[in-house]
Amino acid sequence: MEQKFNTDLITQFGPDKMLPELKFAEMEPGWDCGGGTYKITQAEVEKFAKLMGDSNTGSENVPVGMIYIFGLRLCWDRQVFIDQAVRAGDKITFHKPAKVGDTITTKLSVADKKEVTKERDGKVKVTKFLYINMETLNQDGDKITDIVMSFMLPKTMQ
Amino acid sequence: MNIGDTLESKTLAVSQEFINDYADICGDYNTLHVDVEGMKDHPIFGGTIAHGTINVEPVLQAICTAQGTTWPNAGTVIDLQFRAPVKPGMTISSDLKVKEKQGNNLVCDMQVVDQNGGPCVRGTVKL
Repeated sequence: MEQKFNTDLITQFGPDKMLPELKFAEMEPGWDCGGGTYKITQAEVEKFAKLMGDSNTGSENVPVGMIYIFGLRLCWDRQVFIDQAVRAGDKITFHKPAKVGDTITTKLSVADKKEVTKERDGKVKVTKFLYINMETLNQDGDKITDIVMSFMLPKTMQ
Repeated sequence: MNIGDTLESKTLAVSQEFINDYADICGDYNTLHVDVEGMKDHPIFGGTIAHGTINVEPVLQAICTAQGTTWPNAGTVIDLQFRAPVKPGMTISSDLKVKEKQGNNLVCDMQVVDQNGGPCVRGTVKL
């Protein structure tokens, strides 16, 4: 498909070393995955509201579903979505509303990890989980959302 | 609201065009979502699937309507697990029910179901 995303809206930052280059043992809480800044324009808000049938147009707050828009592209560009990893869930905490015209900053980092061991039919199965914090702030440094994304990592992960 | 009360349900009809438009706004063009031809023979999904974040949209709208706001009140928490992918052609709806009170907060059981009642997302919401 033709890609119409306006890449001028987003500016990235972060270390050269990306998450997939790490072994599981090296994925320590606090590890910086980088992030980016994103300008929320009236045009983007209108497109989103129209798509979702959101009746809150005219509000200075952006449509709430845009909380994810702030980070999805970044998660790919900063390689937070590891190949074959399965998105297991999210824990979203809301703070201040994002407003039309805000320039927001999203920071990605390792929040936690765990290994879950299950025994079934005499076989021990270990599943690795990784938790990534996606913290979003406005231009005044006020928090907008914290989203902790959980991933079930592929069996091949060392 | 009291224990046992349900929140107004919100519904979203998801088509491939909808998913493509969503990709154009968020910039996430993963083949899982937009490569209709390439995903036809996918061993697990057998076709494209919606961005997982689309699955959550009815919950976000239901929370705003219940709180009478355009943005969830500070301190609102959603804890969710993805249960099944949403595919083009599905219509998904939110289902939230108050299960307990914690001080000034309400805790709801939450799910998003497809048109056949199959769960796509499950979890809890603290309002």
